[in-house]
Amino acid sequence: MPKVFFATDLHGSEVCWKKFLNSAKFYGADVLICGGDMTGKAIVPIVAENGHFTFALGGAPQAVAAEQVAEVEANIRRKGYYPLQMSVERLHELDGDPAKRAACFQEVMLEGVDRWMKLAAEKLRGTGIRCFVSPGNDDEMEVDDVIRRAELVELAEGRVVEIDGYSMISTGWSNPTPWNTHREESEEQLTKRIEEMATQIQDPSRAIFNLHCPPYKSGLDEAPAIDADLKLLHGGRALRPVGSTAVRQAIEKHQPLISLHGHIHESKGAVKIGKTLSINPGSAYEEGMLMGAIVQLDSKKGIKSYQLVNG
Amino acid sequence: MADTTMGPGAPRPALFLRNATGLVKAWSTFDAFVYSFWSVNLITLGLYGMSYVYNIPDGQLLASVLIFGVLVTFIVITYAGLVSVMPRTGGDYAWQSRVLGGGIGFVLAVTGWWFTLWLWAPIYANILVVQFFAPLAATLGWSNVATWAASPNGLFVSALILLAFVGVVVSLGMETYAKVQKICFWIGLAGLAVVCILLAVYSQSDFHSAFNREAASLFNVQGDAYQQTIDAASKGGFTAVAFSSFALVPTLLVLPYLAFYLLWPNWGATLYGEVRGAKDIRKPFWSMFWGLWVTIALVVLVILLMLKTVGWQFYYAANAAYWNSYYAVAGAPAPPVPLWPYPVMWAGFLVNNHLFQALLITVMALWFFGWAGTLFLSSTRVIFAAAFDRVLPSWAANISAKRRVPYGSLALMIAPALVVSWLYAYKTTVQAFFYDATAVIAITFLGTVIAAIILPWRRKDLYEASPVARYKVAGIPLITISGVVSALFLIGMLYEWAHWSLYGSNSPDSAKYFLVTYLAAVVIYVAARIVRSRQGIDLRRIHHEIPVE
Repeated sequence: MPKVFFATDLHGSEVCWKKFLNSAKFYGADVLICGGDMTGKAIVPIVAENGHFTFALGGAPQAVAAEQVAEVEANIRRKGYYPLQMSVERLHELDGDPAKRAACFQEVMLEGVDRWMKLAAEKLRGTGIRCFVSPGNDDEMEVDDVIRRAELVELAEGRVVEIDGYSMISTGWSNPTPWNTHREESEEQLTKRIEEMATQIQDPSRAIFNLHCPPYKSGLDEAPAIDADLKLLHGGRALRPVGSTAVRQAIEKHQPLISLHGHIHESKGAVKIGKTLSINPGSAYEEGMLMGAIVQLDSKKGIKSYQLVNG
Repeated sequence: MADTTMGPGAPRPALFLRNATGLVKAWSTFDAFVYSFWSVNLITLGLYGMSYVYNIPDGQLLASVLIFGVLVTFIVITYAGLVSVMPRTGGDYAWQSRVLGGGIGFVLAVTGWWFTLWLWAPIYANILVVQFFAPLAATLGWSNVATWAASPNGLFVSALILLAFVGVVVSLGMETYAKVQKICFWIGLAGLAVVCILLAVYSQSDFHSAFNREAASLFNVQGDAYQQTIDAASKGGFTAVAFSSFALVPTLLVLPYLAFYLLWPNWGATLYGEVRGAKDIRKPFWSMFWGLWVTIALVVLVILLMLKTVGWQFYYAANAAYWNSYYAVAGAPAPPVPLWPYPVMWAGFLVNNHLFQALLITVMALWFFGWAGTLFLSSTRVIFAAAFDRVLPSWAANISAKRRVPYGSLALMIAPALVVSWLYAYKTTVQAFFYDATAVIAITFLGTVIAAIILPWRRKDLYEASPVARYKVAGIPLITISGVVSALFLIGMLYEWAHWSLYGSNSPDSAKYFLVTYLAAVVIYVAARIVRSRQGIDLRRIHHEIPVE
């Protein structure tokens, strides 16, 4: 029976992606599932000027020589940001033109995903390990095409896939967020999207629901409360459930064996919703730590064991 | 869709951000300060803890407070650094597990944040009695109620009220309670201002007269109750020392008493994992730093005002007379005013109006109700973290679907706390255990600061990727230096607790408590390892890092 390793919300951290690919061997997993939000949130300009390069990473601007740039780039990628060398003129051009900035973002993100797909091919070739990715609400739609072209990574979004006798449905779409990201829709539309896949499943007791957004009021969806200006309230200690009612209803209605979620990085946990074990392994991508879940499936018990790990 | 963010003070963009989930504006340092300020609660914990300092009359309290503040600042630096490197829910448990190992992390964290918090429930219940129920009832003329409140039955009922209150707060969640805390904060501060103004404008002879007047009015004490209080303390063996005298060793011996309240500015560290932006070291540092030092400034003010108006000899004597009577010290008579010496009540006596006095006591009770609700909040987080690591059963992290009540962790806190509260109220022979309530948490903190000391080498990758890595002194990581100072401070206090009988925690009963507590934690962890191993789960691999290349 397959042993599944699930991680999510890597947000551009190349260290986490490499760990994700190595996790199969490390934990003895047969199947890797990446739950979405692969792409990073920020570009860090490394500006060439006067014979050196300047950048700022969470502090005062620093200047480095050309031979140090590779190390700087690796450190930036580790945090999930995209390093981008540019001239002062290009910096001001991007700063002043939102359209050019958006195009630049898309270019570096797709390049990044493509590089990850090639890394996956190098690592997984000949191993027999299946690797699934379903982009999340933070990933632009064009990411799907890059994954479709990948040699050894399977795009899981919007379809039912068979894994050694188990059926998995996946979507990275979420209910609306204050950030108006790329894959958001109303709860009604999300219900429809999930139902179109869920109704194809013959045996819910052998089903995996890989749904990026966690179920509402499950404890896997507690995010710090913010005001309309996106400012954290009460020192960040006040938590609100922000999960999806559509996801919760789908779990309650179909009672799959297991549901895998992400989206809310701080809300790590594993809870039972009826017969379903719902897991959000959390995310600490900025630290280069890969938080994940190991699930050993079993033909009789359904789930033989599960464990949340910080790899 | 893309957005631009300017670097701090930079003339051009430091990075370009796009719209993505979770990109929020920084949390208010003031909001976090309020939480830290409540943690080192001057009224609820501070006045109660300092009421024992009479045991070391030649210790200079003011100097002790300042020394304590400086030393705890190193703990604040250490914890702010850890929050910045690993902003994880579970705080001490998560840090110790990842740096020192899962077994050590579990044992140290659950003893400090789970088992020992059971002891704090009756301690808080007693504070509720002596700072609210008893003085309020006495002031309103309900002397029978005041007497009952201080009885074992009254104490146990107070514990039930406290546990119900804590359960409601945990169930409602921090968002609702944070609003309550803010209201309590401002009204409580206004109440403290009134107390300080009263102590500032009246003289010591005014207080002497007012105390005698209220002692006669409320407690039927004839004659000079002020002097009778001093005499009662003398008969119990108390000898006053002038406030201005200073001796280093006795002053250092006062520190463990101050730990009862000043050791906790980092109390919220178990919750920082849920705070986006906690990786910025400055905010957690300044929120804890100001929480500590604003409190210390207020302590200094209150001490000086008490010195001026109440009289230092009377303050210590009143505490000595009360506790000597409470603990039935041989030859110690009951004090003329039989209530715990509550400086707020004394300040109220300066106004000859019982309704005003009752109102002042009620307003100052907001210092209790604004904080006590969080008693088990950090504990539930640690239990959650241990359950997610499969060390505890999964039901320990269960929450109800409708109201999001963490009933599993609440049951693990409230049920034992009820038993412990009953023991505290009715079996005075076990009260020695309760002196260990602070020391056990100090041991947990010690484990965490040791983790911080070795972090730059033990988890080099995490450390170097964090904002803390750029803070060094003479090439040595700041978190290591602050950790070493913190560890020496905590070890010094643990030595004092273990060596001197002053604190009540070097008795055979205390030793048994420590042994049973740590043994229970070890047994739970070993049992979990065996049970999980049979289920095919290796608990050792939870924190093993996956190779990158």
